[in-house]
Amino acid sequence: MSEARLRSVLAWVVLALVAVPVGGAVWLGVVHGESPCILCWAQRTSMVLVALVALFVLRYGPRPRYLGMVVLLGAWGTFMAIRHSALHLARDVGQGFAAPYFGVHTYIWSWVIHWVALGVIGVLLLLLKEEPAEPERREPGRVGRFAMGFFVLVVGANALQAFVTTGPPPFMGQADPVRFSLNPKRWVWMSNDELRGGISLRGSWAVPRPDPAAVEADADPANGPLADLPVLAVQSWMRIAAPLDGRLTDLAHHPAMGGYVAVTDGFGVYVLDSALSAIVHQVELDHQFAIDLTPLAGAAFLGDTLAVLSTNKSYVLLQPDPGADADHEWRHFRTTSGDVTELRRSRFATVRARQMYVLSLAYDRLADELITVSVPSPRHRRLVVSRFARSDMMLASEFLPRLGPGVTWRGEERSLAEYVVTGAVAVDGMLYAFSAAYSTLLVIDLRTTLVTAAYAVPEIAQPVGLAARGAELLVAQADGRVAVIGRPGVNVE
Amino acid sequence: MEFLNFLIILWAAWLVWRRPEKERLAFGLLVVSCLIMALLFFIGTHTSLVPGVNL
Repeated sequence: MSEARLRSVLAWVVLALVAVPVGGAVWLGVVHGESPCILCWAQRTSMVLVALVALFVLRYGPRPRYLGMVVLLGAWGTFMAIRHSALHLARDVGQGFAAPYFGVHTYIWSWVIHWVALGVIGVLLLLLKEEPAEPERREPGRVGRFAMGFFVLVVGANALQAFVTTGPPPFMGQADPVRFSLNPKRWVWMSNDELRGGISLRGSWAVPRPDPAAVEADADPANGPLADLPVLAVQSWMRIAAPLDGRLTDLAHHPAMGGYVAVTDGFGVYVLDSALSAIVHQVELDHQFAIDLTPLAGAAFLGDTLAVLSTNKSYVLLQPDPGADADHEWRHFRTTSGDVTELRRSRFATVRARQMYVLSLAYDRLADELITVSVPSPRHRRLVVSRFARSDMMLASEFLPRLGPGVTWRGEERSLAEYVVTGAVAVDGMLYAFSAAYSTLLVIDLRTTLVTAAYAVPEIAQPVGLAARGAELLVAQADGRVAVIGRPGVNVE
Repeated sequence: MEFLNFLIILWAAWLVWRRPEKERLAFGLLVVSCLIMALLFFIGTHTSLVPGVNL
């Protein structure tokens, strides 16, 4: 392609770019009342600048700095479109910001246009012949001159729309702009709303991963958010004598079999005998296979099926199986005793507990639901109980527990989100949740969602799991010791 | 600020169209406009600079 031909093509590219996305955006704003947000303005400006660089090429030829500038604008515009679209990509079907056009929202169209701009510049460069340098300035030709005039006209219209909807400096675009109006009383100009908040790379996604075996928290119940807690004394101690690879992070008890399942932060899952001294079945999960598993933090028996949960709410269902296919299970397990089959590996999706990690897993046999309790972070300070139907492993309900009668706050500003629940077990419609922070046992009625009682258990150090055994609760510690305490609300004859 | 930026772009386009001998000034205006655009996008996203999804 000769340079003259290139300039002719570019003139048409400018006309198309200015007429459709840039001019069309003005038409949408003025005629349809769909005003752009501050991010939309930046994306639209980037498209205008791509067209402006094309005008430079029309006038002065394909100088390297023009080509460099258009590649930079294409790359930056693509980033802006991804950043903007990410706000809406995960929403439900048909949802987005403002109206879609041809089934696609404008911030996605911006993505496409910047991507196409990069592609076009690449194709034009590929086709461009190497020719002797031409004069400093060129006549843009009839189409080129029309493109320049059209550009000035459309950008002038954009300037007018920008004045009405964003105002003169120092006012700027807004997150939720109101529709276009020529009535000045309806104009909304803001200069400081977008400046609020600190600079952050990840924003609400900057959530530190908890260490399930080493939660850093004040263990003194006297400093916790709840006042006047009765004390539960440890009745006896047990110890996991079986050799585990990694630090213990949860323990569950099988009511019929009498055995236990223990999980570790080394992705180890161990079925233990009733004395906690011998390993009956064992696997080390391959945490990189298909689903990203963070350290295991929870375990529960679902009848004969084992459910284990990692801190990022990914779960694995396992089954003791004497006929396990070793070759098939190789993909699931780094090591295995050879008699375990993996049934399923997937992730729990939450709503209120989104962007929060968990350190516990319980199974409510009456409702046939699995239960997690979120742990607070500096970004998200909530204690959320999430319940998942075993039938499809999807969210069934969620709640933020409230205090029932007889349970009182220590101060007005205190909150259940101060607790860090590291072990949970559900029995007879009640959820028992043990917090490493303030070494407290919470008793939550799953029907009323009320905290009906809370107890201080000051003898516990670094609790990682909670299991139920008849009228007893077993509090597992990271060091492998297990405290036996009476289960509140159960009369022992 | 968007209004100001479009005025700068208009100025640069006018120079390219009607005063082509002022290429250096026009290109300088183009660069300034790019910086203002990037600054406004930064202001709009400063509480979460990268996309708010799992990375």
